Amino acid sequence: MSEIITQLPILSIMTLFLGAFVIALVGRSDEKLRDIILMIAAGIPLILMLILVKPVFFEHQVITSWLGGWEPVSGWAIGIGVEVDALSLFFGLMVAVMVFVVAVYSMTYMNRDDALQQYYTLFLMLSGSVMGLVLSGDLFNIFVMVEIMTMTAVALTAFRTDYPGALEGAMKYLVVGSMGSTCILTGIALLYSQLHTLNLAQIAAELPKGHNTVTAVAFAFLFLGFATKTYLFPFHPPEADAPTVAPASISVMVSSVLTKCGVYGIIRLCYTIFRYMDKTSLQYLICVLGALSCFICVTMAFNQHDFKRLLAFHSISQVGYVVCAIGLGNALGLSAGLYHALNHTLFKGLLFLTAGAVYYATGSLDLDRLGGLSKKMPKTCALFLIGAASISGLPPFNGFASKWMIYQAAFERAAATSNFFFVVICVICLLSSVLTLASFVKVSQSVFFGQLSPEFERTKEVPAAMQIPMWFLAVLCIVTGVFPQAMQKVLLAPASADAMNSFNYIGVMMGTSKAAASGVTAPPAFSAPIIGLWNPVAWIILLLIVTCAVCLVSLTADPEKKAAKAVIGPARDHQPAIALMDAKEAKYESFFSGEESVYSQVGGSDLFWGFKHNLRHYFKTMGDWHSGVVNDYTLYGLAAMSIVIAFTLLFIH
Amino acid sequence: MIVFNYVASFALLAIGFYCTVTQRNLIKICIGLGLVDYGVNLLIVSVGFNAGGTAPIWTIRELTRQSFFVDPIPQALTLTSIVIGACTTAMTLSLIIKLKEQYNTLDTSEIRRLRG
Repeated sequence: MSEIITQLPILSIMTLFLGAFVIALVGRSDEKLRDIILMIAAGIPLILMLILVKPVFFEHQVITSWLGGWEPVSGWAIGIGVEVDALSLFFGLMVAVMVFVVAVYSMTYMNRDDALQQYYTLFLMLSGSVMGLVLSGDLFNIFVMVEIMTMTAVALTAFRTDYPGALEGAMKYLVVGSMGSTCILTGIALLYSQLHTLNLAQIAAELPKGHNTVTAVAFAFLFLGFATKTYLFPFHPPEADAPTVAPASISVMVSSVLTKCGVYGIIRLCYTIFRYMDKTSLQYLICVLGALSCFICVTMAFNQHDFKRLLAFHSISQVGYVVCAIGLGNALGLSAGLYHALNHTLFKGLLFLTAGAVYYATGSLDLDRLGGLSKKMPKTCALFLIGAASISGLPPFNGFASKWMIYQAAFERAAATSNFFFVVICVICLLSSVLTLASFVKVSQSVFFGQLSPEFERTKEVPAAMQIPMWFLAVLCIVTGVFPQAMQKVLLAPASADAMNSFNYIGVMMGTSKAAASGVTAPPAFSAPIIGLWNPVAWIILLLIVTCAVCLVSLTADPEKKAAKAVIGPARDHQPAIALMDAKEAKYESFFSGEESVYSQVGGSDLFWGFKHNLRHYFKTMGDWHSGVVNDYTLYGLAAMSIVIAFTLLFIH
Repeated sequence: MIVFNYVASFALLAIGFYCTVTQRNLIKICIGLGLVDYGVNLLIVSVGFNAGGTAPIWTIRELTRQSFFVDPIPQALTLTSIVIGACTTAMTLSLIIKLKEQYNTLDTSEIRRLRG
């Protein structure tokens, strides 16, 4: 039995790739056969991952196998290894669930497109590469999987070639993605030159002795590569473009599954292999990158007029949370990061699928045109609200539980080190969460509530085959949010413990003697208690702080300046009459000005116009930064590369 | 001698990245990505080089303690990487053909519908 168990991870990767090739062969002629193969190829990995849950999560085993039976000879890995510990399985499980959900959804969603056998071939290859990445124990294999992942994702982004901007989004994704792959390959080359091995466990074992400047640079390159694949700030612009123009099913894969591969890479690199996480400088670096993507992308979302582009910016922002939590470097922070990664995959998947449903039903994703769809698509609306409540962190949905855990971890870290930096990180996260809520109020207003535009009078609810996958994700969103303690005990604690336990990771793969000789020590017993979900005292303190802040702002604001702004108003120069009103009347201008026309839907971009007007300089700068020119994006990437490498050499090495 | 290889590989990397940052023509960006690829390939091959070593093609019987050859693993990696690089170039060029059809330009400063 145990012999079979060790083969399950490789089987799950093979099923997906095999499915891709079989569909390429037979999918053209027979649609029914194609769908059956798709279901089998996407379903088997999910079953295999579920079988592995019991030995890995409950019995704390690590499943390993050497391809072709090439066992290590005198402590040197000569074959390619597969090593599945709780961290790998945690991500593998997430990938398998999402692949299955997206496959079911695609069968209805994509039925108006042609050349579908190519779509499914690419989709299964993408799934297989993601699965291979998280389960592999070999660095070069990870690189190959990253390349397959990038190429198939690019091809799928451009799948609807006539969709406006599809090719452009794919091109930008390709150029910036290639930069990331190059970084990973350079890192591999430098690491191999020093340690002469590609096996992750052996690299971890050799590093304490073989550590030098070159390995530090290799760490910087690998970290940058995975940061590019996570599409962290400043690599994020293509990650906003690609999900915007891809079919919704692929947006889910790109923005909620592919980013998690980068997160997995960063965790594996920083915690298991290099074990640099106890260095405060690296914690600063990761937290700052996370906090920047968290805040900048949530503000960028305010300016969007496209439903999916807005969701894509929120996606990067939420991944920023995950990275912040990982960067805290303590056990609770890692658990919280993993928890939020899981929740982000679920609710962002759900939101993109509802966006796909809206597109399927109306043929539009323009926030300024849509409106009032809750009457026509009540179920999609309910699903969207569940997703929106989750992402904004409203209890009892899952976003609340994981964000709460992140704040708690940040405060614990700040208390333990008495370092003000972590408090700042926590405050940025809180602020971004508030902005996320505001932004989702705007989306639900401009898509599902408000006035129904006449052109969408005949909109119908999407078929049940599309709703079932969405309901499945919605139920998961609630289940994972209601039982945080159980989640921590069953999934998160084993995964974080395994990520931090390099000794076991080396020992299982290369033999315990190797692990003992390497100088890596087994970590102390894992403990990351979560203090109950509801802590009323903390809430009251929070409320007091917010009240004080609001009072302070309203007291210090200059009344004359406020009145002057109200007179000018945003972009209303064509109505000179307003300027003649006194300041008191002009205050109500925003409420009455729309009545001139019959159709007076408040556009998606108008709901927070006051807020946007006050911060117009910031928004203008940000808009200019996201210029859409691919050269600029590579320039940001290059700047980040030089800074991170210099930072690593100066502070981490 | 091998130091020259390392210098050359990082020079190729730098030229390639410079190309992707400064050139507005998509074809030139594609060439830049190619140069970056070649730079990394050169780096990997150089990493496995042993001065005076022979090609790593041996049967078990010929192999002795005295055999001295270059490291075969980086060569295998380079082959894989070259294949991947060729695929990337093909993919980029096919996208460029389609982009030219749709936008009727290769200038990146005009291909920017997705911005802000």
